[in-house]
Amino acid sequence: MNERDRRAIIFRFVITLLVIVAINFLLPRMMPGDPFSTMASDIQGEDVIVMTEAQREYYFHYYGLDLPLHEQFFSYLANLARGDLGRSIHYRMPVNEVILLHLPWTLLIVLSATAISTVAGVILGVVSARNRSKGSDRLMMTGLIAFAEIPSFLLGIILLLIFCVHLQIFPLAGAVTPFAHYTGVLDQVRDIAYHAFLPVLTLSFAQLTGVYLLTRNTLITVSTKDYIRTAHAKGLGDRIVWTRHALRNALLPVVTRTGFVIGMLMGGAVLVESVFNYPGIGLLLRNAVVARDYPLIQGILLVVAISVLLCNLMADRIYLKLDPRVAG
Amino acid sequence: MVPHLQDVIARLRDVISKFSLEGKIGLCGIALIVMVAVFAPFLSAYPPGKITGGSLESPGADHPLGTDELGMDIWSQICYGARMSLFIGLAVACIAGLGGGALGILAGYLGGAADQLVMRTVDVIMALPAFPLLIVISAFMGPNIFNVIFVLVLFSWAKPARIARSQTLTIKNNAYITAARNYGATPFYLLRRHILPEVFPILFVLIIGITSYAIMAETGLAFLGLGDPTAKSWGMMLHYATSFRSIYFTPYWQWWLLPPLAALIVLLLCLAFVGRDLEQVLDPRIRQNRGV
Repeated sequence: MNERDRRAIIFRFVITLLVIVAINFLLPRMMPGDPFSTMASDIQGEDVIVMTEAQREYYFHYYGLDLPLHEQFFSYLANLARGDLGRSIHYRMPVNEVILLHLPWTLLIVLSATAISTVAGVILGVVSARNRSKGSDRLMMTGLIAFAEIPSFLLGIILLLIFCVHLQIFPLAGAVTPFAHYTGVLDQVRDIAYHAFLPVLTLSFAQLTGVYLLTRNTLITVSTKDYIRTAHAKGLGDRIVWTRHALRNALLPVVTRTGFVIGMLMGGAVLVESVFNYPGIGLLLRNAVVARDYPLIQGILLVVAISVLLCNLMADRIYLKLDPRVAG
Repeated sequence: MVPHLQDVIARLRDVISKFSLEGKIGLCGIALIVMVAVFAPFLSAYPPGKITGGSLESPGADHPLGTDELGMDIWSQICYGARMSLFIGLAVACIAGLGGGALGILAGYLGGAADQLVMRTVDVIMALPAFPLLIVISAFMGPNIFNVIFVLVLFSWAKPARIARSQTLTIKNNAYITAARNYGATPFYLLRRHILPEVFPILFVLIIGITSYAIMAETGLAFLGLGDPTAKSWGMMLHYATSFRSIYFTPYWQWWLLPPLAALIVLLLCLAFVGRDLEQVLDPRIRQNRGV
């Protein structure tokens, strides 16, 4: 059973990965008519790059559109295998270099937000479960569920308007103060944390309710189990029963969920980074879209998609490992 | 076998009477926004895309919510934007919900290879990271309202298909279906008399969920500059406002950015309240059928 599950999970991972690679390969080639005529169509009020004849030639050559389709696909795969994602037209650099420059910022806010939302969600869940059906529990449930319905980037705009525009206590853009001279590492860390604060807060809120509900509901289910009654009957203190017996079991799904949370936040980061002008790969993607920098767009998609898939794969594997009932 | 209008109204009234306070507020909110969308030409003095005032006028007698950078009335844009946002949301939800539902029912009813094909496709689509792919596909397809709808449908039909399939499978194995078939019921009759009435309420709840997902996703795409510039939804308004370079250093955000933001949040919250209450009202039925 265990072996079969594991193989099914890996099989699904490989298929999904192949689908993404295929989409990435086919998109510029499958568009109705000439894909590059749409590149000239603009979005109002942006820095528009209108295609010149020379650029069209360049793109045709770049994608090797004169070759037969299967040859194109194999050369595409070969490039991917070598880790070559092509050249960014806008930045005039290899795509993977551009991505590597921005990826750390995204990882920073996504991982911090994952940690914060998990810890805060668990704490709120425990408080809620212990006060089950009382006023505070009900208030938290309704409030947090309604809160979760606001998409994270709209929430981000609200936070931005309150803290950066109205109160002016947080910066409007960037990940570090430009041209800053740091007196020490501590100073630099403080500056980075100061800039990352609101994006991290926004992303944390996006996942908080999920963790909270999961913790609360599992705790409530667990607390009706026989072994909890046994623990109480043995004369153990309330605190020990909750932490050692109930919480330890209730945390299992929460830990498993963390992988999915990272994956979802990677997707959500695109919009949140755009709101805060935070220079991660999300903002990079927005800029690439505005500049119609197709190789870069595709490179970012591949990186984001693969990280999301890896996170989900990890979550599945961890679940199988951690839960003895499934691991068998 | 067309149900009478009175029956439908009675049933609706029955469902609504079981709503919580939030659900009723949500219903009123949605009704209000739908009215604004329908009567947009009567509620606003100007067409939304016409320059009717100075650039960035603050709210006043002529322009209740002021004007944007090109001098177009914001209140008109909100009214007509409601049309776009609702239209995109509902179009995606209906196509994805009904189409996905139909596929799911077919897969569940036919079984075998068709079932395998549909369900494996569903698996892959559910595993794909939707939003990054949405961005990239829309970027390649070009900004056009039908492309936006198409892309959103592509990523939202999987859930209704999966649920409709599992419902159909459960119903199909009931003794009364076998009995009906033995009495000579055709597949079409079974579908109309037994399967659709059971599956449809669940699809309806899903359609509400997809509507709010689609509105959210369209807003996100538009915010990134991937919306249709000729169809100004609330998301496109956010895009133009935030693309204005000094929006945060001037008081303009108060009447340019806040109204579409507030409208979107109100609409999404209302949809969520109604969706949740509907699900709760229909819950006993859902739980019963999920039992297998």
